[in-house]
Amino acid sequence: MTLRALQREFQRALLAGDTRFLSRIAETPGADSARRLTVYAEAYRLRLREALEVDYPKLRTLLGPTQFAELADTYIGRHPSRHPSLRWLGRHMAALLAQTAPWSAQPVLSEMAAFEWAQGEVFDAPEAGVVAVAEIADIAPPDWPRLHFQAHPSLRRLDLSWNVVPIWQALDQNESPAPPSAATTPQAWLLWRRQLDIHWRSLGVEERWAVDAWRRGAAFGEICEGLCEWLPPEHVPVHAAGLLKSWVDAGLISVLVLD
Amino acid sequence: MRETPATTSRPYLGYGLGLRTEHYDSVLQRRPAVDWFEITSENYMIGGGKALHILERVRADYPMVMHGVSLSIGGTDPLDEDYLGQLKALAARVEPEWISDHLCWTAMEGQHLHDLLPLPYTEEAVRHVAERVCRVQDFLGRQILLENVSSYLTYTCSQMPEWEFLDAVARRADCLILLDINNVHVSSHNHCFDPLDYINALPAERIRQFHLAGHSHNGPIIVDTHDQPVIEPVWQLYAAAVRRFGMVSTMIERDDNIPALTELLDELQRARTIAAPILKSSAA
Ligand SMILES: [Fe+2]
Repeated sequence: MTLRALQREFQRALLAGDTRFLSRIAETPGADSARRLTVYAEAYRLRLREALEVDYPKLRTLLGPTQFAELADTYIGRHPSRHPSLRWLGRHMAALLAQTAPWSAQPVLSEMAAFEWAQGEVFDAPEAGVVAVAEIADIAPPDWPRLHFQAHPSLRRLDLSWNVVPIWQALDQNESPAPPSAATTPQAWLLWRRQLDIHWRSLGVEERWAVDAWRRGAAFGEICEGLCEWLPPEHVPVHAAGLLKSWVDAGLISVLVLD
Repeated sequence: MRETPATTSRPYLGYGLGLRTEHYDSVLQRRPAVDWFEITSENYMIGGGKALHILERVRADYPMVMHGVSLSIGGTDPLDEDYLGQLKALAARVEPEWISDHLCWTAMEGQHLHDLLPLPYTEEAVRHVAERVCRVQDFLGRQILLENVSSYLTYTCSQMPEWEFLDAVARRADCLILLDINNVHVSSHNHCFDPLDYINALPAERIRQFHLAGHSHNGPIIVDTHDQPVIEPVWQLYAAAVRRFGMVSTMIERDDNIPALTELLDELQRARTIAAPILKSSAA
């Protein structure tokens, strides 16, 4: 038997409980082959479960440890690790929760998973500088409409219909959270990292449109035109300049591009 | 027992610890009396953020070595070029004294099992692993260290004891050895061999680092959990290893149930206390 065939049998024993591999295990006093294999099978499941616990602590609190373990086992069965680091194991959690009964009946779970995953992405996104207010002031007003913005690599946008952020915050303070409730329209959120800390805030409807527009590549001029949908045109320049200053102050923008 | 002069000229870092997130603050604030730190390479193969920031601050004050868990040197999937590229990039950043991984396999058909799975001790596996080690060493531009793993099963097809396998791979690939003393103890218990046979058979000139760790029992099997203090028989085996190999950079590996840093510093002190008289008498 080749090394590869042996490893394939071992893997199938671990992932699918295939028993053919048992005959490859040497008999040694102390424990039989099934027992020896079980040590590996248990360690595999526990290790992956723990990685999911690290990524989704508040989801785990919402579900309780027993239900979370069931979820983790379902997850591991569907999404075995495809990456050398366990850091990426949990990336399909929100999708699985949204699509799979019984969890899909509680959409707050999927949204909590999305919120926690986004925090992890923000936490170890690449480093980048941020634009200073003075750099904007240096740009001549006639050039402003041609201004494009590159987001800080940590910037993430989420739309959440459920009150997952207040629930997350309550759990984080060891307080009992409000019961899950859904808003009539989803709330837009922005998450990003500043120095080493994660920040988030909600966005009003026009700011949400504006942020999504510049992240798509829209120039500042287009953004001003678009804002006319919510504001009288004479108020747009001041309002748009105010938004831009707030984005720069918060460290959301890494590069200014004129073209 | 083969005697080895304690003067074997190998780079020597002293007594170290694994760098763990739980100790980030104590390490940065108290600059503990640790000679060096070992990092788990995969934990820092990320874009940026707090972990890399702390890594740089700790590195500024301490020598470091990089220890990987996902190279899958004994695997039969092609070597992961992406992974190797990231490893090399991290090494350029950390400038470690050396880089190690495990003599095991961890992935199959693109699926990562995140466990250090044992290899069969066969001529085929020696050839396979040695050839891959050579390619990794060429790519990284340096020798790597391979660590013996704890195992809970052996294969019917094995043709030699584990220590002969490790010795053969190291010689054929011209690589170095990270000897985990606890893993020798664990495997000797699980597979009924004399741990001293293991220690005495290894090529002294290739031993570059020791790991010491604790473990736990799962029925009749000892599992390498790194969640307990080092036990007495492992300290005794450590003394035997120091007698046999002389001055070897030594560290405590604690990955779970992590105690205060001071507790690990005490354990590290115990290692110094055991090794000092042995090294002194062999130098005399
Ligand atoms: Fe080790």
